[in-house]
Amino acid sequence: MDADSDVALDILITNVVCVFRTRCHLNLRKIALEGANVIYKRDVGKVLMKLRKPRITATIWSSGKIICTGATSEEEAKFGARRLARSLQKLGFQVIFTDFKVVNVLAVCNMPFEIRLPEFTKNNRPHASYEPELHPAVCYRIKSLRATLQIFSTGSITVTGPNVKAVATAVEQIYPFVFESRKEIL
Amino acid sequence: MTGRVCRGCGGTDIELDAARGDAVCTGCGSVLEDNIIVSEVQFVENSGGGSSAVGQFVSLDGAGKTPTLGGGFHVNLGKESRAQTLQNGRRQIHHLGNQLQLNQHCLDTAFNFFKMAVSKHLTRGRKMAHVIAACLYLVCRTEGTPHMLLDLSDLLQVNVYVLGKTFLLLARELCINAPAIDPCLYIPRFAHLLEFGEKNHEVSMTALRLLQRMKRDWMHTGRRPSGLCGAALLVAARMHDFRRTVKEVISVVKVCESTLRKRLTEFEDTPTSQLTVDEFMKIDLEEECDPPSYTAGQRKLRLKQVPAALFQLEQVLSKKLEEVEGEISTYQDAIENELESSRPKAKGALANLTRDGSVEDTTSSVFGEDDAEDEELEAAASHLNKDFYQEILGSGLSSSSEGAGDPEEGARPPALESLLGPLPTAASLGISDSIRECISSQSQDPTDACGDGELDLSGIDDLEIDRYILNEAEARVKAELWMRENAEYLREQREKEARIAKEKELGIYKEHKPKKSCKRREPIQASTAGEAIEKMLEQKKISSKINYSVLRDLNSKGGGGLQEEDAQPEGRTATRKLSRRKTPARRHRADPGTSVGKRLRPMVSAQPAKKAAAGEPLPLSPSTLGAEPARPTAVLVESGPVSYHPEDDPDEDDPDEDDGEPCVSALQMMGSGDYGCDGEEDDGY
Repeated sequence: MDADSDVALDILITNVVCVFRTRCHLNLRKIALEGANVIYKRDVGKVLMKLRKPRITATIWSSGKIICTGATSEEEAKFGARRLARSLQKLGFQVIFTDFKVVNVLAVCNMPFEIRLPEFTKNNRPHASYEPELHPAVCYRIKSLRATLQIFSTGSITVTGPNVKAVATAVEQIYPFVFESRKEIL
Repeated sequence: MTGRVCRGCGGTDIELDAARGDAVCTGCGSVLEDNIIVSEVQFVENSGGGSSAVGQFVSLDGAGKTPTLGGGFHVNLGKESRAQTLQNGRRQIHHLGNQLQLNQHCLDTAFNFFKMAVSKHLTRGRKMAHVIAACLYLVCRTEGTPHMLLDLSDLLQVNVYVLGKTFLLLARELCINAPAIDPCLYIPRFAHLLEFGEKNHEVSMTALRLLQRMKRDWMHTGRRPSGLCGAALLVAARMHDFRRTVKEVISVVKVCESTLRKRLTEFEDTPTSQLTVDEFMKIDLEEECDPPSYTAGQRKLRLKQVPAALFQLEQVLSKKLEEVEGEISTYQDAIENELESSRPKAKGALANLTRDGSVEDTTSSVFGEDDAEDEELEAAASHLNKDFYQEILGSGLSSSSEGAGDPEEGARPPALESLLGPLPTAASLGISDSIRECISSQSQDPTDACGDGELDLSGIDDLEIDRYILNEAEARVKAELWMRENAEYLREQREKEARIAKEKELGIYKEHKPKKSCKRREPIQASTAGEAIEKMLEQKKISSKINYSVLRDLNSKGGGGLQEEDAQPEGRTATRKLSRRKTPARRHRADPGTSVGKRLRPMVSAQPAKKAAAGEPLPLSPSTLGAEPARPTAVLVESGPVSYHPEDDPDEDDPDEDDGEPCVSALQMMGSGDYGCDGEEDDGY
């Protein structure tokens, strides 16, 4: 195994969170009473709505801001958001679809080797923090990408970042460091 | 006096005045030096006849408490608060550290961390106790003491993760790289708690060896050190013939029983565990194990692969089976054909009828053949045939009555129908795929990304979206249900609205939110500075420790004094009569800045016990029962006006008098006890 060799790493995106605005006030009670697949949380002041096709869950606030979670790609997130906007339109709101933004992407990735966490932490000091008393993984932050990686000793890495591209670059960046402190194969 | 020479006249007769702190040449009278720092110790005799040293105690880090000469008062104020915070922190660190049995060095380091945290404003928005615990833990980590974050959380009764968060933040912000925890640190501590007596050392050595082995077998990464220690100690204890139950161990190491068991089973999986006790002490196995969770994951993966393989095998088998069945059925057909041909013809005809009764041609052809054979048979056959015909026509091909004819054909149509059922969804699925493709191509062009506001409807299936919206009847039912469910809330809401409406009618309704903002914005309008200050103090409470009623009282008195002073000089003497002590203060008012500093001094340094007694006669509100803290702060706040000094000269006397007032009254109550202060002030001047 070489650090330079192109090992195809599968980055599996498990969650994409996006937000958009409808630019109109939403009557939550109306949505709750006339929509299907909804949960109205009156005490919090939000409605949860689930869609089937892109399997997403949307949090609808009366201010007109909507958060969609659960998509597995940016396209799917956008599609789900548009479908949700359409269903709100059908409910009779003057929905204008604006300010669509992907805010968070969660992905997992498996390294084909195990990682020596203490050594890794020592080598990457300011960015990495390893507290086995609190969490079994090393938390590695890349400030420039605004990405956070949870690196487990088994080699699996969980990445969160603002978008898919950032997540991919984060994995690319971390690979050499992780490779450096991998467990030698005897 | 001294061996110095005057710069002015060259005389050597220089007089040093310790009280005033200056050096004057007696020959020409030029002041050679002033503000000399005095290093003499003076003693005063108090009313009881005992004597005490003049001055105040200045602690090592209590820089804020030293009397500052001159300087901005607000700076001093800030310093006071900071010093107080630090003092509190120090006290709490000592308290907590002693509970953890940390040594003095560690406590000092922790206090330094705390100071750094305070100066970086990291204490803001966090609880003092959390920050202090984080500081202490930081020391524990850097010094390598056997303390866990769990111990701290145990002492403070705070969630570990909350503390952990604070700790991580502190470590990051203060750029302290705490070394990773070594579980070996905890072994002696836990071993001690488990009470192995004389064999304590041996057991802990064995546990350490076990731990080293576990480390090499990758058991320690990502695991709580205490859990590992527990497992190692348990095994070590058993190796040395101590009977320690799992329960005893977990009560010491503070992990869950299942965690400990898991560690033990993990250790069991390593090759080291297969060795005997003697072998273990002698042999070091060379190879390393994979991390337990990794092997577990691999096993799971393999298990998952097995069913998949099985499934594939099954599929292949079923395919083969089908083929075989097909072959068998062909053979069957052939056999049946053979049989048919070998049967008597009449029977064959009947069989024909039963097999495909609906087909007329074959029957007629059969009849044609039958004619020749037997008339009776023909009659019977025609009769039967008719019966069949009628039956078939009557049922109109509705499969089930046809049963006798062909069971397979009867069974198929419903199956097809059931297949037809999900067909639309399958179709829409196909559509959605194409939709997805559409969208992916669309999202690539930039016009769509910016979001001009219009909802792009392409690819959205309205029909399906309609399913997310209930029809009227459904909505009505749901609304009814909801109303019933939330009847109480709705009623409350209605009542509230009614009440508000009623209040509005009566004109007593107050809207809460807007008023608050209004109040804040309201500018202070006052004719004199004193009034303005009063109003300002009323509006924003500077501190909860200030007795505002006393303040107001003082202000009103001060205001009165001002008027009197301006109008008639007798008023001044009247106020002066209050105490002789005031006159020296007056004399030195030329420099308000220094006088402020000095006036503060007696308040701070005067004997606290007496002051408490002195506070009583004053109109104190119950909120300031402890006169001690109230007094100095009251004076401090008074200084607010002092800072205005330069701006409003005519009122200069007014706040000054206010300052003088509490001092006077307090001292007056003390009666003859003012000697100490007297001396002190003289000393200062």
